[in-house]
Amino acid sequence: MTDRRLAWALAMPALLLVALFLGLPVLSTFGTTFTTDDGLFATYEAFFQSRFRRSVLWRTMEVATITTAISVAIGFPTAWVVARAPRTLKSLLIVAAVFPLLTGVVVRSFAWLVILGRNGILNGALERLGLIEEPLTMLYTQGAVIVAMVYLFVPLMILTLVGVLDAIPEDLTDAAASLGATPAATFRQVVLPMAVPGLIVGAVLVFTGSFTSYATPQLLGGERQMMMGTFLHQRAMVTFDWVGASTIAAIMVVVTLATVWGMSRLANRLNPVAG
Amino acid sequence: MRRRIHPALAAFAVVTFLFLLGPLIIIVGTSLSDTVFLAFPPQGLTLRWFENAFEISAFRRTMWTSFTLAVLGTALSLLIGIPAAYAMARYRIQLPRFLGTIFVLPVLVPEIVLGFALMKSVATGLDTPIYTTLLVGHALLVLPYCVRVVGASLAQFDFSIEEAAVSLGCPRWKAFLTVVLPNIQGGVIAAFVLAFITSLNDVSISIFLTGPGVSTLPIQLLAHMEQFFDPTIASVSVLLMFVTVAVMALVERTLGLTFLAK
Amino acid sequence: MTVSLTLDHVSASYGRTRVLEDLSLEVGAGELVSLLGASGCGKTTTLRLVAGFLTPDAGTIRLGERDLTRLPAHARDIGLVFQTYALFPHLTVLDNVAFGLKQRGLGRAARRAQAGEMIERVGLTGFADRYPANLSGGQRQRVALARALVIDPPLLMFDEPLSNLDAKLRVDMRVEIRRLQRANGTTALYVTHDQEEAFSISDRVAIMDAGRIMQLDAPEVLYSKPANAFVADFVGFETLIPMRAVAEAGDAVRVEMEGGATLDLPRAQWTVPGQEMIFAARPDGLVVAREGEGIPARLGLRTYLGRAYQYRCETAAGEVSANGPLSQPMEPGETAVLIPNPEQCCLLPASNA
Repeated sequence: MTDRRLAWALAMPALLLVALFLGLPVLSTFGTTFTTDDGLFATYEAFFQSRFRRSVLWRTMEVATITTAISVAIGFPTAWVVARAPRTLKSLLIVAAVFPLLTGVVVRSFAWLVILGRNGILNGALERLGLIEEPLTMLYTQGAVIVAMVYLFVPLMILTLVGVLDAIPEDLTDAAASLGATPAATFRQVVLPMAVPGLIVGAVLVFTGSFTSYATPQLLGGERQMMMGTFLHQRAMVTFDWVGASTIAAIMVVVTLATVWGMSRLANRLNPVAG
Repeated sequence: MRRRIHPALAAFAVVTFLFLLGPLIIIVGTSLSDTVFLAFPPQGLTLRWFENAFEISAFRRTMWTSFTLAVLGTALSLLIGIPAAYAMARYRIQLPRFLGTIFVLPVLVPEIVLGFALMKSVATGLDTPIYTTLLVGHALLVLPYCVRVVGASLAQFDFSIEEAAVSLGCPRWKAFLTVVLPNIQGGVIAAFVLAFITSLNDVSISIFLTGPGVSTLPIQLLAHMEQFFDPTIASVSVLLMFVTVAVMALVERTLGLTFLAK
Repeated sequence: MTVSLTLDHVSASYGRTRVLEDLSLEVGAGELVSLLGASGCGKTTTLRLVAGFLTPDAGTIRLGERDLTRLPAHARDIGLVFQTYALFPHLTVLDNVAFGLKQRGLGRAARRAQAGEMIERVGLTGFADRYPANLSGGQRQRVALARALVIDPPLLMFDEPLSNLDAKLRVDMRVEIRRLQRANGTTALYVTHDQEEAFSISDRVAIMDAGRIMQLDAPEVLYSKPANAFVADFVGFETLIPMRAVAEAGDAVRVEMEGGATLDLPRAQWTVPGQEMIFAARPDGLVVAREGEGIPARLGLRTYLGRAYQYRCETAAGEVSANGPLSQPMEPGETAVLIPNPEQCCLLPASNA
C-alpha cells in the first residue's frame, strides 16, 4: 500500500464518523427548512417576521456580547497577573482556573441557583445585614443569566490569555521600559497589540459558547429569558415544531460560523507579523 | 528584590479567583448541611445527602449510564481518533490540510444543533436505538479532543525511531504498538480523561437523546432541580467535582495542566 | 554630555540567595567597562540593577549626579541592548528604532527622520519597513543597537549582545559597537562571558566571581599581572604552585617550593621573605631542560603541539604541564628541570588562593 493510501485509510473511520453523523444529519436538518410548501425561505421569513422570535435572537446576541465583554474585562488583567506570577503560584492559579472549567455546566449553574434564589444565599445575607426587607427577585432575569455565563466562561478566557501573555517575553516589556515607556505606555504599545490575536480567539470562544448555551439559560433564565438554545429545545421537544427548530438551528450555525470567520479575518488584519 | 505586580492588579486577580472558586465552595458547604434546604454556611454536618444520592434509583441508574457512555464513547473516539491523528502527523504531505478542520467540526457546530440533528435524523429518522445514538453523539463530541491532544503528543514524536524499528525487521503495525504508542502514552491518557469529563458533563447533546429508560446524570440533575431543591443535588455535584479532581491529577501527571493554557 | 556610572556598596539577593556582595564599581565618563565571568557570577544581575529591573537590598547607583537607585526603569534614560535583542515583533524596523523617541514625546516627522538616520548609520538602509521576523541575526542585532543609540543615552549597556551570532559576525559587530560607542563618547557597561570579546572591546574589564569583582583593570594588566589565583586561572595561568619567599637579592626574590627546590623571580613590594605565595605559570611559563636552575621533575606523557612539545611532569608539588623545544625531544621517564620564563609566569599573594 502506498503511503498516500495508507494515510487515507487510517483517517477514514474518523472522517466517516464526522461525515455520516455530523455532516449528513446537520445538512438534512437545514434541508428541511428550504423544502416547506410555502417557498424556499418561508421559514426564515416567518422567523424574522415574528416579534417574539426576533426578540429571542436579539436577547441571545445581547447576552453573548455582554458576557464576552465582561469576560475580557475580568480575564485580561487576571491573566496578566497569572502570566507574570512566580512559578509555584502560577501553577496554583492555573489549577484554580482549570478546576471550574472542567466542572460541569449543570453543577456550575446550580451554584448560582443556590446563590441567587429567592431563599438563596445572597438574599439571606442581605437580609441579615439589614440591607433589604423583602427578598430580591434575581433568578429568571437577564442579569442572572449573564452572571452565570460570565462565571462559566471567565476560566476559558483566563487560560486562553495566559497562553498568549506567556508568549510575550519579559525582555520585551523590559526593553520598552529601558526606552522610556511608562508601564501604561508599555501595556498600550507592546502588550496589547501582541495580545490581540489571543484576545480575539478568547472572545470568539466565549461569544459562540454563550450564544449556543442551553443549560444555563434554562436554569437561570427560564421561559422568561428564552435564548436560542432553550428556544430550539422548546420547539423541538415541547411543541414538536421540527421545521421551526431546524430554522433556529440553521440561524445558530450561521451566526456561529460568521463570528468565527469574521473574527479570524479581523485577527489577521490586526496582526501584521502573521506573514 | 524582584519587581512586584501592581497591588491593585493583584487585588483584582484575588477577587476574580474568589469569584471562580466561591460558588463551588458554597456547593460543598451546602452538601454537608444537616438541613432539608440548601444552607450556607452549613448548619450541622452530615453525610446523609451523599447516602441519599445513592438511594435515589434515578441517580444510581443515570450515574452508571453516564459512566459507561463516557468510557465507551471516549474509547470509540480514541480508537478512530488515534489512527487519524497518526496519519495527519506522519503523512503531513500526503493528506490535505482541511482534514484538520473536519476533525474539529464537532466543536465548531453548536452542540445543541448537533444534538437536535442527531435526534431528528438518526434516532427518529433511522429508528436507531436511543443509547446507540447517544453513544455516537458522545464519540463525535469528544473526537476533537482525541485528535488534537494525541496530535500534540505525536508532534513531539521523532518518527525516525519508528523507522529504526521497521529497519530492524519489525512489522509496521507492531512498530506502531510497541514503539509509537508507548511514546505518546501521556497524550493518549490525557486525551482519554479530558474526553471522559467532557462526555460526563455533556448536556446539550444528551438533552435530545434521553427517552424512556435512558438518561444521563446531568440531565437527571436538571430534571431533579426543577422539582426538588434539597442538598442531594449539591452532594451529587460534589461527587462530580471529585471526578474533576481525579481528571486534573491525571492530566497534571501526563501532559501537565499548563498544557491547557496554550 | 558624558557622565560616569557609580555603584556604591551594592548588595542584592534573590530570596535568601545573595547574588551581589557589597559591590562597588565606577565606570568613567566615556569609558567602556566589561563585566566578565561565568554564568551566575552576578554580572547580569549588576546590569539589571543599573537598568532598574531589580532593586538592590543596599547601596546606591548613580549616573553622574543623578541617584538612580529608586528610580523606575523607564525614567533612567539608559540605552540597553539585550542578548535576545528584544525587538518588538509587531513593529517595523523604523518603528522599533523610533519607539524610544516616541516615549520622549517627539513628533512623528522628527522621530522618523532621526530613526531613519540611525538606521543608515548602523548600515540597514532599505530595511526600515521590514519586520524583525524577516531579518537575519546580524541585522536584528543592528536594529537593537540603533534602537538603544537613537535616544542618545548618557549610558549604554550591553547584555551578552553577541552570543547569538556566528563567530565571524561576532568579530565584525564588536568592532562596530566599539566604533559607535567611541564616536558618541558614551559611557558603557558591557556584560559577557567571552574573555576575548571583553578584552578586545573594553577600556577596563571587571572579572567577577560569586557576586564580587575579583579584579578591575585594563585588559593588558589583567593578562600579564593577575591580582589573585582566580583571575590568574581565568586568564590562562594553568599551573599554580604554592611557594614561600626565602630571600631577596637586588631585583629578585628567591622562592622555595615543597621539596626544597628554589627559583629566582622578579620581586614585588609584598614579596618579603617568609611570605606564603603562589607561583602561577602558563604552559610556556615553564620550559623543560636537561639541566639548569629550576624545578626538578620526572617527565611523563609527551604530546606534539606544533610549535613545541608538551610534557606532563611529575614534581614535588604534583603533576604540572610544561613545554619543551622541538629541537630536543625527551622521553618519558627522563629526569629534567623546569625553568621559569619570567614573561609567562608571576607570583600571587597566597591569601586569595
